[in-house]
Amino acid sequence: MKTVISIDIGSTWTKGAAFALTGSGFELKEKISVPTTQDNLVVGFHETLARLLHQDPLTPLEQLKGLSEIFFSSSAKGGLKIAAIGLVPDLTLQLARLAAMSAGGKVVKSFSFALTGGDVSELEKLNPDIVLFSGGTDGGNSKYILENAKKLQSSRLSCPVVYAGNRAVAEDVLNIMKSREVVVTENLMPEVGQVNIEPVREKIREIFLKRIVAGRGLAEIVDLFGSQPKPTPLAVFELISVIPEFYQDWSDLAVIDIGGATTDFYSNTESYLETDTVVLKGIREPKVKRTVEGDLGLRVSARSLFETGQSYLEDRLREEGFELKEMEEFVDRISSRLDYLAESQTEKILDQILAEACVYYAVLRHSGGWREVYTPQGRVYVQTGKDLRRVKAVIGSGGFLSGEKSTAVMAIPLKKLRNYGEEKKLLPDCPSFYRDRHYLFSVLGNLVEKYPQEAASLAVASVENLSQKGENHD
Amino acid sequence: MGKDTIVIGVIGSDCHSVGNKILELFFTSEGFKVVNLGVMVSQQEFIDAAIETNAKAILVSSLYGHGEIDCQGFRDLCLEKGLDPIVLYVGGNLVVGKTPFSVVEEKFKRMGFDRVFTPDIDLKQVAELLRQDIKEKFGSSLNGQENKSQSNQNKQLSQAAQADQNNRQEPEGSRTK
Repeated sequence: MKTVISIDIGSTWTKGAAFALTGSGFELKEKISVPTTQDNLVVGFHETLARLLHQDPLTPLEQLKGLSEIFFSSSAKGGLKIAAIGLVPDLTLQLARLAAMSAGGKVVKSFSFALTGGDVSELEKLNPDIVLFSGGTDGGNSKYILENAKKLQSSRLSCPVVYAGNRAVAEDVLNIMKSREVVVTENLMPEVGQVNIEPVREKIREIFLKRIVAGRGLAEIVDLFGSQPKPTPLAVFELISVIPEFYQDWSDLAVIDIGGATTDFYSNTESYLETDTVVLKGIREPKVKRTVEGDLGLRVSARSLFETGQSYLEDRLREEGFELKEMEEFVDRISSRLDYLAESQTEKILDQILAEACVYYAVLRHSGGWREVYTPQGRVYVQTGKDLRRVKAVIGSGGFLSGEKSTAVMAIPLKKLRNYGEEKKLLPDCPSFYRDRHYLFSVLGNLVEKYPQEAASLAVASVENLSQKGENHD
Repeated sequence: MGKDTIVIGVIGSDCHSVGNKILELFFTSEGFKVVNLGVMVSQQEFIDAAIETNAKAILVSSLYGHGEIDCQGFRDLCLEKGLDPIVLYVGGNLVVGKTPFSVVEEKFKRMGFDRVFTPDIDLKQVAELLRQDIKEKFGSSLNGQENKSQSNQNKQLSQAAQADQNNRQEPEGSRTK
């Protein structure tokens, strides 16, 4: 029997798990969390590893290294900051945003058409980790690209630029941006509507490793272990991608992960089924999709959630018999103490309503919709975005949802979304709700590259079906 | 670069897809790079695709009789989006009823379409005209010739577009029937 260890260095907690690798797959032996040591990540990492291996915490890392196979990931301060530049908002820019988020990044700002002087100074101020620069199909538009390349070249930005636009002018872009670090990759939209985001994702990942990992001691771990960390969201993304490959019953699934700073939503389902009566507009979104919402979170982002989510919060507070003022006070309390845990029954309900609001807006932004159009040939549905109707399983992960035994936090907002606006949202028709009860998805994600089937198997085995308990909110 | 890109599609709430597929096959065989947006395409979608692909022409189809409403303001939107020199064609059953074609043609030309076609036009003729019009507006000849740099083109084009805006001659051939 072999022990495999996976450690995820998060922004607040460093989580680690030890798995036994037997003939039948992984078995969870132990799972622990220690506070992340912000100044030097190695300290928390070292402590986690020593405890998982049941060694003296003073044992040098070199000695611990040989005792087990070790994988690790890092969330890099709550996600990689990416600025996305595209041409047309509904085409290359939307794909650039999708690619950035699927690679584990957080889109801090997006820009379409030509960058203005104001855009450039805003970019400089945002100081992103990566600029994702796209636009034009292969052999298509080059005017905007070349113009923007010149502006980026003369800006004070210092971060690397990933170029994933019109291939025909890639060399020109390199020439213009001589003094910049520019990585050229395949066009993310080689033809109108053709989605090609894998190469971009790969490049973003490489840069993530090289540039961002360099600080705060991670380089030391990389040197010592001879392996690279994964961005945490990418680890989960890979896990979600691989589960249906081994378990057909889990062919259409979604995962929602509410954290202190962000809410991530992952889906793995066909985004559009072509029929005579449904016409897709805009790009066909990829089968596996991740969106991340930087303004939705239960602690660091509680304040912005309170502002974004006002209409949902008011509605739910009224139903539960609370005043908006009470919520505001609670938000103030948790924003100033990030490790605050809800104590009274009231606070627990308020916390739950905040989590519901995270689900509500994350799903709203992730899912597509359709509207009915009456044509001389009959009724036709015009779909935009991703169709989630076939999603059978919605899994809650992250600190809050992993510990949440009721379906309410996910089911209530989904039910409310059914009456959202004029456009019908394409939500899961009748999903079962699960929780990632040991909060394993991020650590299991680290193992997918080497042990895809074993990781998928344990992920499926460790989720708990919440819908079977007779609760039904639909 | 080789080929000139054209964008085709059926505008509005129109789902006639058969002719659209034939047009794609035909224009591809004529040596164009065809971006086919399919059915139920909005003006904005035509224009977005034309911008991303640096297309030289947009060919709009409409068969269900509401073409006039759907096409209203198309040229204006192109101008707003910086597609000044783009060639705009429209064809199909453009209006309901028995309006004489000359009236229909006049109407769509006033909207800024360069040419207007009936549903039974000989497509060979359309391809020929399209080659001419692109050459006239973009200065470079079609399919096969190296394109000049876009900024260069754009300068020539805005001049060319201005010049030909008013005194375009309609060849007899395009008015079949």
